[in-house]
Amino acid sequence: MRLNARKAIAAIAMVCSVSAAHADTIRFGAILPLTGPGAVIGTEQMRGIQFATDKANASGGVRGNKIEIVFEDNQAKPDQSVLSFNKLADLEKLPMIFTAYSGPSLAMAPLATRKKVLLVNAGAQADKLATASPYLVNTLPTIGDEVKILTRFLAADGKKQGAILYENDAAGIAGRDDFVKYYPEAGGTILAQEPTAFGQTDYRPALLKLADAKPQVMLVSITAGLLQMAQQYKQLGLSFTVAGTSFFADPDAIADSASEGFIHTQVRIDAPPALDAEFKAKYGVPMEFFVRQYYNAMQIMLTVTDTLLAEGKPLTGEAMHDALFRIGKFQGLIPLEFKSNTATVPLDINIMKGGKDVTLKQMSSD
Amino acid sequence: MLALQLACNGIVTGCALGIVAVSFSFIYATTKLFHVAHAGVYTLGGYLAWAMLGHGFPAPLAVLASIAGCTALGALIQSQLYARLEAKRATHLVVLIASLGMLAVIQNILAAVFSANILRFDLPWGARVVHLGGNVRLTVTQILTVSVSLLAYAGIMMFSHGTILGKQIRGVASNPFLAEITRLQPRRVHVYVMAIASALVCLPGILTPMDFGLQPYNGVTPLLTATIAMIAGGVGSITGAFVLAVVIAELQNLSLLLIPGEWSIGVTFFIFVIFMLFRPTGLFAARR
Repeated sequence: MRLNARKAIAAIAMVCSVSAAHADTIRFGAILPLTGPGAVIGTEQMRGIQFATDKANASGGVRGNKIEIVFEDNQAKPDQSVLSFNKLADLEKLPMIFTAYSGPSLAMAPLATRKKVLLVNAGAQADKLATASPYLVNTLPTIGDEVKILTRFLAADGKKQGAILYENDAAGIAGRDDFVKYYPEAGGTILAQEPTAFGQTDYRPALLKLADAKPQVMLVSITAGLLQMAQQYKQLGLSFTVAGTSFFADPDAIADSASEGFIHTQVRIDAPPALDAEFKAKYGVPMEFFVRQYYNAMQIMLTVTDTLLAEGKPLTGEAMHDALFRIGKFQGLIPLEFKSNTATVPLDINIMKGGKDVTLKQMSSD
Repeated sequence: MLALQLACNGIVTGCALGIVAVSFSFIYATTKLFHVAHAGVYTLGGYLAWAMLGHGFPAPLAVLASIAGCTALGALIQSQLYARLEAKRATHLVVLIASLGMLAVIQNILAAVFSANILRFDLPWGARVVHLGGNVRLTVTQILTVSVSLLAYAGIMMFSHGTILGKQIRGVASNPFLAEITRLQPRRVHVYVMAIASALVCLPGILTPMDFGLQPYNGVTPLLTATIAMIAGGVGSITGAFVLAVVIAELQNLSLLLIPGEWSIGVTFFIFVIFMLFRPTGLFAARR
């Protein structure tokens, strides 16, 4: 009799634990620059993830499970990112972490491989990210993909004398190296190149030296301080074309008259008007590029989570990684396909005009 | 055209650095303390002005209030931190560590209150471009930086040589033991020195971010360059610190004519290392 009572209690406990597991909170991580020179972009990225999470939770979560994101501030610094990664992976036991910025993402990539934690990047674009780790997936093309398209466009537009202003870090150097590789292939000649440090905002000496080479176009491969660069470019009265990649998606710089005429490639990712209005009602600002990118990335992860829960598989980094590639094609804000660790997406060439980003030409990253 | 524009930019940067160097030299020559927290006072000045302008205060009032804030902080650091450590016979190394700690505290408070983002002064008149002939273009902010820095340099020279307090400060700097015996009250003088130097450093602390934007960790690089200018100029020489700061900034800018930008800082400081080997007391040391 006593044995039966024990069995009954154990059975009740088991049923309770199973139902608790079904209505659990699923936790993911995000290591982003929430302060420092990259904070404007980092805040957009955080809002994109949180907005998608809030919408999912408001509609009942994923198969009844609420989603929660643990945010960590890395100030876009690789060393700080490693500390945050270890905290989220080892202490919090999170299976998936969003990342941004090339230096930090590359620093965390070996740890992701070793600990089998899925790293999802929807903002950084250094070429090395494509092969840094099997557990690092990129929902946007590398700088190389963008620069290749940009150089062809510039050469076709008759701008065959180029100069490069680049940030002396992983992302900036990748942009420079790609331009050095693809611009001559497109028929262009590189006349000069000058580096600048991340976070430093005195671009005048470098701009003057580059201007002295009399280029028709200047590739700018910097991830912070675009507004200051644009203002100094205008103050110095320079007139050559300024070109860049999706790093130019800085709302403050686009809105400033100093950036009038800047050309750049841009991953095409539009938000439906209703979604944009909902976001604006919540945060008081439009759904900018990196908000849309990370909203889209979160939607992909929600699809992966839903698939694994439907299959009754555990939510581990390894299982999420395998499910992502098994699903392959995703239709979030944009059609996106994972043929490799870096997704194939639509890509545009834009020009900054009247405080807005206007599309000149539509293409695809492959 | 390139050389002339680079030279003009060098003068702007050099003048701002010159005031940082002069103020740091003023403190070091008198108190013999390596006041690293001076970089924090420099940064605070910019943030105070930015906050007041943001709240609609007129620019002159914002500048005066920022100077008052920096002056008070400088005096407070001397009277409540360094003087107490000195009373406990702390070594210069301990004071240096305390100063580093103070710098970290100021930077972190600024980052917490204002965020670590790049903040921009919303002063359209400051970005207005002035054509100086020879195709040289400077903004109003840059011209203001040179003018204010030269006035501040002239002011501190007049103060140092033409006022009783200035002479007392030079007396304390020259021989602290004799100053103690002759009732110059070195500890009181140290507080004055720190307050005056903090007021001075507030000027480039406001003007430089008006051009390049504000960041909480902005002050360290100018202070390092200013320290080198002070040593190469001759410790205790106001003119030496100012002139060498301008020379360093000019070298950094004009070296771009010959070498890539990534080498400019390294090459500039290498030249100074060689210079110091031949004249370790500094360029203007003999004229003190």
